Amino acid sequence: MIRSITRRSLMIAALAGTVLAGGALANGASAQETFKVGAINPYSGPTALYGDEVTRGYELAAHAINEKGGILGRKVEIVRGNATSPQEGIAAIEQLAGRDNVDVFIGTYLSAVSQAASEAALNYNKLYWDTNALAAGLTDRGLPNFVRSGPYSVSFADRSAEFVANLLAKELGKQPSELTVWIEHEDSIYGTSIAERQKEALEAAGVKVLGVGAHNFKAIDLTDSVLRARDAKPDVWINTGYVPDGNLLLRTARDQGFKPAATVFVGTGDTKETLEALTEKGVEGLYVVSYPRPDISEEFGPGSAAYLDAYRKAYNQDPIAPQSMAAFVGFKMMAEAVEAAKSADPAAVKAALAGFDKPEGSYETGFGVKYDDKAQNVRAFPTVIQWQSGKPITVYPVKAAGENKPLKIK
Amino acid sequence: MSGLLNILVVGLLLGGVYGLVSMGLNLIFGVIRIVNFAQGELVMLGMYGAYLSYYLIGLDPYLSIFIVVPALFVFGVLIQRFMLQPLQNEPMMQVFATFGLLLLLQNLVLAITRGTGYTVPSDVSSIVLDIGGLKISLVRLIALLAVTACALFLSWFVKHTMPGKAIRAVTQDRRAARLMGINVEWAFMLTFGAGAALAGLAGVLLSPIYTMSPQIGGNFILAAFAVVVLGGLGSVWGAFIGGFIIGVTEALAGYYLDPALKHAIWFMMFIAMLIVRPSGLFGVAGAEEVGLREQS
Repeated sequence: MIRSITRRSLMIAALAGTVLAGGALANGASAQETFKVGAINPYSGPTALYGDEVTRGYELAAHAINEKGGILGRKVEIVRGNATSPQEGIAAIEQLAGRDNVDVFIGTYLSAVSQAASEAALNYNKLYWDTNALAAGLTDRGLPNFVRSGPYSVSFADRSAEFVANLLAKELGKQPSELTVWIEHEDSIYGTSIAERQKEALEAAGVKVLGVGAHNFKAIDLTDSVLRARDAKPDVWINTGYVPDGNLLLRTARDQGFKPAATVFVGTGDTKETLEALTEKGVEGLYVVSYPRPDISEEFGPGSAAYLDAYRKAYNQDPIAPQSMAAFVGFKMMAEAVEAAKSADPAAVKAALAGFDKPEGSYETGFGVKYDDKAQNVRAFPTVIQWQSGKPITVYPVKAAGENKPLKIK
Repeated sequence: MSGLLNILVVGLLLGGVYGLVSMGLNLIFGVIRIVNFAQGELVMLGMYGAYLSYYLIGLDPYLSIFIVVPALFVFGVLIQRFMLQPLQNEPMMQVFATFGLLLLLQNLVLAITRGTGYTVPSDVSSIVLDIGGLKISLVRLIALLAVTACALFLSWFVKHTMPGKAIRAVTQDRRAARLMGINVEWAFMLTFGAGAALAGLAGVLLSPIYTMSPQIGGNFILAAFAVVVLGGLGSVWGAFIGGFIIGVTEALAGYYLDPALKHAIWFMMFIAMLIVRPSGLFGVAGAEEVGLREQS
């Protein structure tokens, strides 16, 4: 009895040893060959479309970097980690760090996933480079392995307020102090934090905020929200939310005859989903503050046209959403930071961040690069588009707009 | 004053939407005594059915009713026959089965659409009637008329036709109905089919208003539960009146108090009703004891 157990456990141990040694060898070999980047995004579930889109940006950047010799002399390889929720984010990190032995992580379409995944990555002492998550809290944590290269909720709020006080006031022929605004937002932390910051920034610019309304993005009916805004008679109606509630607000405003001089959406409203829901006539003139699009001028975003060509060539279609270009640029910034640090070690990369100081207009998206003490890039900003004859046209900042002009406000 | 009138009209139109979504749920609940968690997903299927009819053969959503509603009736019959009937003597398992169906349908649609939000274009969707300053969206008016027609038809059907009388008999006492020669299984299939068809009708009629997502059913179902409990479990007119109560409450609370509070307010009504009158305004006493009272 004892003998047989011993023999069997010996065999199992030997087998396990072989497998482990083989695995370690394989891992060691591949880690030397390629520079592995774990891309944490939702590839299933309701936001899969956007998770895919963000990762397309990474793939295009990896392709471009590989043509120039890769990162630290190694060819870049992207390994996808599917995460639709914080729990899945942690699991994806554990899998990619443990099994695939990735060098750095990059993400994330969803802020909640970024929050959990970056903390999990810290346990493995891996860099978590964020290109697309928006929540301000992510950089406020001061996590030693976390860097954000893209715009975040504060940049969206500030750019929308600046756009209203500068361009819209001028278009309406008013001083900012004569301008009235109604701020609407969906009532989770995303919409609420942006709306609060907008209110502060607009009031600081002298604009009068008539009211702030909150709604649930799953609401069946938003007539009450629209009527409250309509009865306040604002010049400008600003809304921060998601696609379904944004579409419902626009439809309800149309039905209730609410026609403010300008409507500004923040974050969503610049995709086909809104165009189809409202038709070309329904979205005409709508402004959307969102990620920079490839149609920005070459002067503002050098290389944006070439990016669009590369995207079309790789995927046989136009970008589904503008997030991918910010992801593309963010990936390049990550590669530059790792090269400068000569290592993917989080402490070394963070120390190298201080050396980056490029003005706005240095990258395809018009971003510059300068990191603050929380490792947030403070030279990454969204741009503003306006729907004109069924097309989203960049109109602000004026330099990004190039030849494009906003429609005359009636 | 015109402001208040406008809000009341908005609330009534919204009540039509709620009533439409709740009617099928209440029918299934009243007769088969199952809380069908997948009812919202059947509404969602109705919406996507309208989209598919438009996408494949360019049909206006109002014409796709003639395809989508019968298709969902058949789907409902199949669910009852092959999923719920084998679990007939285990009411809790039936509820879990409908919950499983909810997840299945949601994820199936998600896998097919990849989460893209679709909209069915209809010429009707942008028409707004202006009656003395009151703005009435034609799509919502049609939904209101449809729910009224459905309530009238259903109450006539259960009172004056043999299948309807069979359904009522089964509702009151399954065993006695079976002894009278009524085919209980057949009555259940008819009921679930009708409930699913009503959900399909709701989906088609609401498709011009909303941007579809696989999760949209969940947005309706919470409200539908509140409507059903308030109006009366198992009562056709309960769902109808309950829809208006919830709709008007929501519109008034949203406009005069705060849109962020409106759901809190109707859930307070929901809880108060459960305490004061558990069977709802028009419900049959004891109807709330689903799964607790012995059924066979």
